[in-house]
Amino acid sequence: MQHRSFVLLGAVAIGGAIAVPACYAPPSANAPSTTIGRTAWGDPDLQGVWRYEGAIPLERPGQLGDRATLTEQEVAQRQALEKEQAEKRLEGYEGAAVGRRSVGESPIRGNEYNSFWQDHGRPRQISNRTSLIVDPPDGKLPFTADAKKAEARSAARYGVGPFESYLDPDTGERCLTDGVTGMMWQGPNGGHNRIVQSPGYVTILHEEYRDRRVIPVDARSHGSIRQWFGDAIGRWEGDTLVVDTTNFVDRTNYEWANIWTRPSESLHLVERFKRVDATTIEYTITVEDPTTFARPWTAVIPITKLPDDTQIYEYACHEGNYAMPNLLGGGRTDAARTSSR
Amino acid sequence: MRTVSWIAIVIVSAVAGAALWVHLPVSAQEESYTAPRTADGAPDLNGIWQALNTAHYDIQAHPARPALAIIPASPRSDTPGLVRATHVELPAPVVRPFGAVGGVPAGAGVVEGDEIPYQPWALAKKKENADHWLERDPEIKCFMPGVPRATYMPYPFQILQGTDKILIAYEFAGATRTIHMNTVGDSPSPTWMGWSRGRWDGNTLVVEVTDFNEDTWFDRAGNFHSDALHVIERYTPVSPHHLMYEVTIEDPKVFTRPWKMRMPLYRRFDRDAQIREYKCVEFVEQLMYGHLGVVDPATGTINK
Repeated sequence: MQHRSFVLLGAVAIGGAIAVPACYAPPSANAPSTTIGRTAWGDPDLQGVWRYEGAIPLERPGQLGDRATLTEQEVAQRQALEKEQAEKRLEGYEGAAVGRRSVGESPIRGNEYNSFWQDHGRPRQISNRTSLIVDPPDGKLPFTADAKKAEARSAARYGVGPFESYLDPDTGERCLTDGVTGMMWQGPNGGHNRIVQSPGYVTILHEEYRDRRVIPVDARSHGSIRQWFGDAIGRWEGDTLVVDTTNFVDRTNYEWANIWTRPSESLHLVERFKRVDATTIEYTITVEDPTTFARPWTAVIPITKLPDDTQIYEYACHEGNYAMPNLLGGGRTDAARTSSR
Repeated sequence: MRTVSWIAIVIVSAVAGAALWVHLPVSAQEESYTAPRTADGAPDLNGIWQALNTAHYDIQAHPARPALAIIPASPRSDTPGLVRATHVELPAPVVRPFGAVGGVPAGAGVVEGDEIPYQPWALAKKKENADHWLERDPEIKCFMPGVPRATYMPYPFQILQGTDKILIAYEFAGATRTIHMNTVGDSPSPTWMGWSRGRWDGNTLVVEVTDFNEDTWFDRAGNFHSDALHVIERYTPVSPHHLMYEVTIEDPKVFTRPWKMRMPLYRRFDRDAQIREYKCVEFVEQLMYGHLGVVDPATGTINK
């Protein structure tokens, strides 16, 4: 559908801004914690509805150079700006009118595009970190030269066309998926994820596209079947859930180099879920994909637990995809105009 | 000899046991089996399950037929002795290339008393649905299948028992239900898969499902409901490897009274059994959108 964008959302509920304290510190040793809740069978309890509510962008904005952290003054400025923007959103302003002036100020990118899809309300959490990416140290995605060109070609085509057949829109517009890599921390309609644990399984239900991962947590070996969401195998390392995923399939007709929308078949994704306090999972992704990236990269993303009564609602995208016939109809009209000129 | 007689005894007992199993009233079976408990103390229904019946074709009793979409045979000529030949159904042209693969096996049905108490107008609509099956069945378009249809489609599903939510992960269309075992508010809108509230009744998981839209069906035979549908499901473990699934259907807009279905569900034991992706959206795009674009990907035809 047309609303797909890499956008972080405001929240359903309204609350005060909560600063994420201090700069990022590497995860400590996997010593069993006594402070986190446990399931009845003794695993760390990750259950609930979770979302990334931070304002840290994936990549470090260029003007920040090699600075991994912001000054106290800069943090205070951003908190004030966030509060102001949140108030404007509540008053009904959208997109650029909210005052988020540049892609650099958006958590991912393109926060102005179709912002009416976002559920506004709660200010995002401001932190002194300058990028979610902690490795490489420059906070940038280490695209290969070819991948950078492909990404540019896709960015030029996205939302522009041509849309000659149903294969031409990207996977989100086709109501297929926006992919696994960004599932925990992206999503145009809230980025909500419900985690449910049962013995031997961790299941993640993501609201958008009703994406679902049933992850066996028994350290079995990978099978041979390729899937959109790959083949995910979990294991516990101390109190950290480690999910290793390979066997992705790439059936998109798009050249995105960002591997969350277009999982390359050589992608190897390792995710770590570590519950650090009652309301936070420190979610770490390490992405290895030699066809897209010159080296592996790692991002550390604080994920927030939403109130207990937060629900994941049904996302009937394909069932109501009026956009697809309209997009193709528009494509034909464009083609007819071009040929009659 | 000793080995042989042992085998004979085992076979005889197995047959007798099976016969006993079949003929015992199910309620007695239910009472005689106590399901293992989860660490939380609830009956343990975790696992991958699947129905093994023909209800996905037709929840009522039906003879075998040559195809899902059929046409009547043309009337016979006046050849003496042939004019009274039995009525014959033929596969519709679009499904004919499937041959024996496309046939529909017979089944005794899963509806209690084999009668669905349609109101007269609704019975007429059911027949019309069946006649226009290819155009109307939401399964063909990979739409979410609704409840209870999702249970007895020919795909496995997995029950995942969390602390206060039970998820049912269906393979077909990647549909998932969240069964709320704790108190939740009402659904904000009608849905394809319903709004599920669960509770334990002894060994049985009872799920009340409400807030449906009117767009799902019960089977490939055109059986349907309205947005007033109210479903009560009962999942009862009756052996380590079987659940008895009983479902009550209420819909005062379509039926004259509530009615019931009942069937066993079987545990999947296959090596590395798991719910795979069946993201059928991409399988139906050609059907739904192939003719709409500038180019038809199936033929390369340029549409004008």
